[in-house]
Amino acid sequence: MKKWKLKTKDRHIHGLSQLLNDKQAILYHKEDLISYDCDGFTIHKSLPRAVVFPHSTEEVARIVKYCHDHALPFLARGAGTGLSGGAIPLNNEVIISMVKMKRLIDIDLDNRRAVVEPGYVNLKLTNQIIERGYYYAPDPSSQYCCTIGGNVAENAGGAHCLKYGVTTNHILGLELVLPNGEIVEIGRNGVLDEPGYDLLGLITGSEGTLGIVTKIIVRILKNPEGKQTVLAYFDDIEDGSQAVSDIISAGIVPAALEMMDKTAIEGVEAAAFPVGHPKDIAAVLLIEVDGIAAGIDEQIEQILSVCRHRNVREVRAAKDEKERAAWWANRKTGFGAMGAISPDYLVQDGVIPRSKLPEVLRRINKISEEYDLRIANIFHAGDGNLHPLVLFDARVPGETEKALAAGSACLKVCADVGGTITGEHGVGIEKREEMRFVFTDEEIAAQTDIRSVFNTDNLLNAGKLFPSPSRCAEVKKEIKEKIIG
Amino acid sequence: MTVSQQKSKQPACKDGVSNYLWNDAPDETKWADCVHCGMCLESCPTYEQTGQEQHSPRGRVYLIKSVAEGKLTVNEEFMDPVFACLDCRACTTACPADVDVGGLIEEARGQVRQAIPLKGWKKSVNKLFLHGIFPHENRLQTLGGLLKFYQKSGMQTLVRKTKLIQIMPKHLVDMEGVMPKIHSSVKKKHRNGSVIKAKQETKREVAMLTGCVMDVMFSDVNESTINVLTRNGNDVHIPQNQTCCGALHVHAGDRDMGRKLAKQNILAFENDDTVIVNAAGCGCMMKEYGELFKEEPEWREKAEALADKVEDISKFLYDTGYEKPKASLNKRITYHDACHLAHGQGVREEPRDLLLNIPGVEMVHMPNADRCCGSAGIYNITNPEMAGAVLASKMENVPDDVEMISMGNPGCMLQMAIGVKNHGRSQKVVHTVQLLDWAYQKESRG
Repeated sequence: MKKWKLKTKDRHIHGLSQLLNDKQAILYHKEDLISYDCDGFTIHKSLPRAVVFPHSTEEVARIVKYCHDHALPFLARGAGTGLSGGAIPLNNEVIISMVKMKRLIDIDLDNRRAVVEPGYVNLKLTNQIIERGYYYAPDPSSQYCCTIGGNVAENAGGAHCLKYGVTTNHILGLELVLPNGEIVEIGRNGVLDEPGYDLLGLITGSEGTLGIVTKIIVRILKNPEGKQTVLAYFDDIEDGSQAVSDIISAGIVPAALEMMDKTAIEGVEAAAFPVGHPKDIAAVLLIEVDGIAAGIDEQIEQILSVCRHRNVREVRAAKDEKERAAWWANRKTGFGAMGAISPDYLVQDGVIPRSKLPEVLRRINKISEEYDLRIANIFHAGDGNLHPLVLFDARVPGETEKALAAGSACLKVCADVGGTITGEHGVGIEKREEMRFVFTDEEIAAQTDIRSVFNTDNLLNAGKLFPSPSRCAEVKKEIKEKIIG
Repeated sequence: MTVSQQKSKQPACKDGVSNYLWNDAPDETKWADCVHCGMCLESCPTYEQTGQEQHSPRGRVYLIKSVAEGKLTVNEEFMDPVFACLDCRACTTACPADVDVGGLIEEARGQVRQAIPLKGWKKSVNKLFLHGIFPHENRLQTLGGLLKFYQKSGMQTLVRKTKLIQIMPKHLVDMEGVMPKIHSSVKKKHRNGSVIKAKQETKREVAMLTGCVMDVMFSDVNESTINVLTRNGNDVHIPQNQTCCGALHVHAGDRDMGRKLAKQNILAFENDDTVIVNAAGCGCMMKEYGELFKEEPEWREKAEALADKVEDISKFLYDTGYEKPKASLNKRITYHDACHLAHGQGVREEPRDLLLNIPGVEMVHMPNADRCCGSAGIYNITNPEMAGAVLASKMENVPDDVEMISMGNPGCMLQMAIGVKNHGRSQKVVHTVQLLDWAYQKESRG
């Protein structure tokens, strides 16, 4: 066998390789790096300097310290399924890929906890414990392949966070490598709430700008005794939106309450997991209730009656688990399914008060007409988390910019009605400038001050989450002009 | 100029920014559907092993697209991820947008093979098997005869005892170790071209692909296939001018040879209405012959006509109805989905149904049954390390308490037999159709 050796003059590649137990766990050829130039957000692209694959916390700490000491920009990456560009190496970063740290370290059913490494895939945790009667609740649609480390960085949500909360509600402790290479632990094993500031809450959702998580203690839940899903077709999207409000007003807390509009239905039905949704309906609702078996039938009856009251065309409960699973697979692969009807898409992630749903949908529709781009809506209607998917073709000159502007306009609408610009996908690169829709300069400065406490030199994942100070005034103006016209 | 006429080894043209210099380049419409969502990642055995994006389906598609966009060229670094793919198609099943990753990989391999001809031992292996043996019936038969002689003459025992075997590379030793008992070729046996009549009343006439590896290494599976077909009212026609399906060539990027073999088979089966295939890899290839003839429309039409007639044996029996055996086999069995059956042809339930309908068969669930075993054509010869790692994950999922592992592809049968041997297991590796045949035989013996 040929002797392995690094073929590069870059002294830092040699330096980093020396820090790894497996000296070969580093990529630096352009061909190997190019697929790391973006994540699930494909509009911005930038090549990393190298990609390293640590297998332990100590290796991560050594790499981070090296980058810190040599002033090399760096960032952490999980499965690269993020939708706001959090793992894109804008500054030619050294990417620290966490996918080799994928062990399930401990399952502690008595205390309902599990300890995982950050590269562990979300759904694998549930698959490991489901037969023993437990599961991990946060279920982003990418749960088949996204990592729990990435979920912590983005504070990922999912269809079932309406009832069970987002990632931050399920994190009990973290081990973290700070941007200077120091290893710290946050959260005491088994203690639900520690005195002092809520650092777990601060780190979860910090989008990889405060440190690199290397171990995660998560809460696991007992499987609900019963579970049922209802599907409802509406001819008028306003009726569907009103039904959503009515269900919540009736005092039901569904585990999930999802909605797709006509364009979204066209996409999922043209793709790999069609279930036969009629093409001519305006909206489909998926409503899941779970909990103690005794109450479920009654809740289902209530939901059916609310839908009928809102002129539903057809409403029924899943006849068996197979049908339920098919409905969910159809919904959960919805974003990727857009590939079947459009070469590119941009997904937005606004949050609005539920009662504003009909109004916001009307305004998004208007944005679609104004920009002459199709917008599909797939959303967690129950908690007002909208995902307008702006469909475009990046090969057409100018269309990417148009899509970005349309997406931004959707977020403006959300902010205007008292909502916000992201529910679960994070700000990343994508929504940096839109942060100004919801925060003043002072509020943003207060947050970057917090970042400086951890990430003093801003070498870790710089350029994400907040607008760049130099550009803010002009960008603000530019966006305003775009929207006001 | 058609592809087959293009004899010179010079690039065909350079179209705009694309760095694909040869005809039959990867097809843009195939990657246009990929929105980079990453749902394919966990389905990919090589991503599972490496954790590297360029060894994932999404990464490979991105690389293939990058060459077309002029960002990369077809070089050694590009070749590595493209050839490390098992072509198992698990990503095609996982993909929400139905991106044909396998098709793209095969097209990209075609470009690589023209830009960077093989060197060294990989060249020898490819040349020996893909050009020297598989397409040539006589040589195949000779090889079969030699192997039979090797086994029967006592030479096998001698080679093993004298440790002469230690001079062979490890993976070839593995293969030697699990080589099935060689029987006579079915195609040769029926060389007068006559039709094998149904045992009772004839309901249909079908043609059968005897295959290359199948007819040398597993001609008993071919025998079983004929038995099961004739038992269920099918006359079986074995066209003598049929040849190797070309799957191994297309997987290896040798698309010209693939086209040549495809044409021969298209002609061989032209007058048949149904073509029964018992090797998942061959069935999948024949169903995709059309892909090889993008630049030859007449052949494309013929290829698609053949594709419509090709049917896996288990699906054919399931669809046309078959007599349920009455004798009991009393075996605990698990089923392994061959990639080119499950992911390639969407055939999952049919073979399981056949097995469940055999009295006394107890089916034990294999977790991740549709995960590749690492055989992947001649991948286990060209990429032994990765194939071994993939096989090790597969063997972890084979339940302990079963007597047999059933499947529908000869490549998998060899690889799984190596797995059983190297991992200290005891299961017998069988083809689904063999079990059905054995149940029928037991029944007629009473």
